[in-house]
Amino acid sequence: MIRRLALALAFTVALPAFAARVGESAPAFTGTDTNGQTHSLADYHGKYVVLEWTNKDCPYTRAQYSSDNMQALQKEWTAKGVVWLTILSSAPGQQGYMTAAEENEWIKKVHADPTTAILDPTGIIGRAYEAKTTPHMFVIDPSGKLIYDGAIDDHPTTDPSDVDKSHNYVSAALTEAMSGQSVANAYTRPYGCSVKYANEGE
Amino acid sequence: MVSHRIKAMRARYSFILLLVLLLPFLSHAQATASAPHLSVQLVVPPSQIYPGQNFTAGLYFKLEPGWHVYWINAGDSGEPPVIRWTLPPGVTAGTMQFPAPKRLPLGPLMDFGYENEVLFPIPISVASDFKPATPTVAFGGKVTWLVCREVCLPGSTTLSVDRPASASAPASPGVVSADQTLIDRFRSTLPQPLPSDYAAKFQTTSKGFTLTVQTGHRETSAEFFPFDQNILANAAPQLVTYLRNGVEISLTKDENLTAIPQELHGLVVLGDGRAYEFRATPGVLNLAANQMPATGMLRIVLLAFIGGVILNLMPCVFPVLFLKGLALVQSSAEERRKQRLHGLVYTLGILVSFWVIVAILLALRSAGHNLGWGFQFQSPLFIVLLSLLLFFLGLSLAGQFEIGLTLTSTGSGLAAKQGYEGSFFTGILAVVVATPCTAPFMGAAVGYALAASATVTILIFTALALGLAAPYLLLAFNPAWTRLLPRPGAWMEVLKQAVSIPIFGTVIWLVWVFNQTAAAGSLVFLLTAFLLLAIAGWILGRWPAKAPATIAAVLVLTLAVAVPVWALHAFAPSKITHAENSNSLWQPYTPQLVAKYRAEGKAVFIDFTASWCLSCQVNERVVLDRADVQQALKSSGIELIRADWTRHDETIADALAALGRSGVPTYVLYPADPNAPARLLPEVLTPGIVFRALDELKSPPVTANSRP
Repeated sequence: MIRRLALALAFTVALPAFAARVGESAPAFTGTDTNGQTHSLADYHGKYVVLEWTNKDCPYTRAQYSSDNMQALQKEWTAKGVVWLTILSSAPGQQGYMTAAEENEWIKKVHADPTTAILDPTGIIGRAYEAKTTPHMFVIDPSGKLIYDGAIDDHPTTDPSDVDKSHNYVSAALTEAMSGQSVANAYTRPYGCSVKYANEGE
Repeated sequence: MVSHRIKAMRARYSFILLLVLLLPFLSHAQATASAPHLSVQLVVPPSQIYPGQNFTAGLYFKLEPGWHVYWINAGDSGEPPVIRWTLPPGVTAGTMQFPAPKRLPLGPLMDFGYENEVLFPIPISVASDFKPATPTVAFGGKVTWLVCREVCLPGSTTLSVDRPASASAPASPGVVSADQTLIDRFRSTLPQPLPSDYAAKFQTTSKGFTLTVQTGHRETSAEFFPFDQNILANAAPQLVTYLRNGVEISLTKDENLTAIPQELHGLVVLGDGRAYEFRATPGVLNLAANQMPATGMLRIVLLAFIGGVILNLMPCVFPVLFLKGLALVQSSAEERRKQRLHGLVYTLGILVSFWVIVAILLALRSAGHNLGWGFQFQSPLFIVLLSLLLFFLGLSLAGQFEIGLTLTSTGSGLAAKQGYEGSFFTGILAVVVATPCTAPFMGAAVGYALAASATVTILIFTALALGLAAPYLLLAFNPAWTRLLPRPGAWMEVLKQAVSIPIFGTVIWLVWVFNQTAAAGSLVFLLTAFLLLAIAGWILGRWPAKAPATIAAVLVLTLAVAVPVWALHAFAPSKITHAENSNSLWQPYTPQLVAKYRAEGKAVFIDFTASWCLSCQVNERVVLDRADVQQALKSSGIELIRADWTRHDETIADALAALGRSGVPTYVLYPADPNAPARLLPEVLTPGIVFRALDELKSPPVTANSRP
């Protein structure tokens, strides 16, 4: 009995402490935004939260912003009370790394409209969610449950003209969840550039 | 100010990008195009295009060092290249084929793709009614790709190749040798369908899947690449176990995967870059067994037979054989025919009990249990009954009472009987005590048998049984050899009493095993049972063949059995004491611990042992615990792990099965290189074997690991 318990314990420890998994509680995190304010996921209990991993120099992200699609989504959903957090997990020196001032400048320039942008140069939030690509999207429901994990849409290209033809998974997930339905496509393969994490152990 | 500069920079960058993208359109499309970090070429080998022609074209990428393009499943990020063809009427292109990729780690992510250079073959067919409108036709297409190092750049270009066309097939079709050479050079990188004598199956585990690929060889490396996305955690290390005729790969499933997939569609890339595509279905692959050629089968059966013969000499069987030899001496006055019959009946006893064990094993195996040889010694109840039986038999042999006159119902009574039943039950007794002795030869045979189909299992166990019966059968059938046996006389009584000594020795061993497996407090009850047996024996010896005495003896005997059985029952909930190894050199086995050390690049030695396994104890006392061996193990920096199978433990049974073994002792040595195959040491160890194995670890044979 004790042996079995010990084995179970060893097994639990071997697993990552927080793993993002659709249908389960979204990993908790605390991060600092471009205005120096701290935000915790717990602060937004009771609201829908969208997490958007970004890297402005990634061609896939660029396609979303140059087509104005991402900005439109941010405006549409924040107007409906959704908390939209843009997250930058690029490590210093890597593509897409931005200081707070640079990111604010960039947001103004492209007319982005997230609730706020969180700087995650250590990649702690990214790794907790196992964010793989830019863009990689997550939707969390008011109870804190992860209800969508995956790509922004069904057209994995860098061509801005493809965006209009695409089925947007994030909008679909929010629409379905808000009308009390279950999310039809709750997990898709995220596409894009890899998140430029700091190399481990270097 | 800053924004102004950024804006200017971005504008310039966009202009350059635009220029790069438009460049192909500005100039006439060519077979080869240069783009940032790569060049791409459309390869069309035939020098002429004609009706009914089939050939392989290709898309060839040459990349700057460190940059890569992607496989059909790009992994955690990235996209594979795409070509949109513009072909002459009557010419059609098949789907682009993807050579075996490489794992490309990127921080916590894992992509699948190609570095340096790659050629994607594309089958082209020309219709039989192809009519060229012009003397030359153009093969063209728009190629788009994503090229990445730390950063990713999308690219696209239009390529075109002109070839002369004719309305009929030429007498001798020519090729553009540069293009043909390129196609040929990359032909071997394409995955092949799984050959008919190969097989692939997968099983679901708590963390993902165990994929078994049977290749018929011991492989040197293996990697699995899934075609389907979102099935596996791409970055998780793939733990490979190299088996005699294939590999077993532990795969970690995608965190979000909830339904068990119908199939695992993917590639396995083996040593020398051999790559095979397959769709593995759920199931167990008997890696040791399937598709075994008849000669190999014969060899295994022969080995099983020899193993059976050797079993006669094992300490736990020898007393029984001796007992039977004694019976033979007594019967040497009997007719020859009768002796033969006794031999045959003894053989039948062995056969029947082996078949019963096989039937139980097969039933348990199909019920999902993974049991190994000797498993019955993990049941304290079995040990209690066997030790009581042998102790009582020992008392009788020592001369305390005559067995067989009044007690005919117990196994020992039957075994000691002079008639055919006696021979039959002696056969059974021989099997019962022989099973835990996994003699050399036998480990492989039983491992093979347990992993094989039911027919093969029965065949092998039958061979084992015949081997075990052979010495006595030979003696019974050969009158000349019988005459060599000493004549019956007073010495027989001496011999009979002497036989009780090894019997009592076996009892001591069983008590020790019991002490390892059962709760601490229950030992005293077993010893009490021995005293009760001795009392019963005394009653039987003091008042032989008297009804009241026999009844009293039976009562005491019943009590003798009841006491330890009750104790086992009563102490069951507190059965938590486990045979801990006081020797701190050895760490207790868990699969996680082994995986951890292997991932860290440490060499690992695992001692699969059990306290009921005599050979294991001998190896440990005589070899592994020797001062110089201990010193060598300590200084070699190998992680020492002891897998104690004294009590049935599923994880250890699984680990043994993965090694193609089903019993202990098993000694396995994993080199520091996580991709190197495990090495099994012989079942009988000597210090020399251990030293040699350690030396080989230190200076492993040089293996060429030329990764493109």
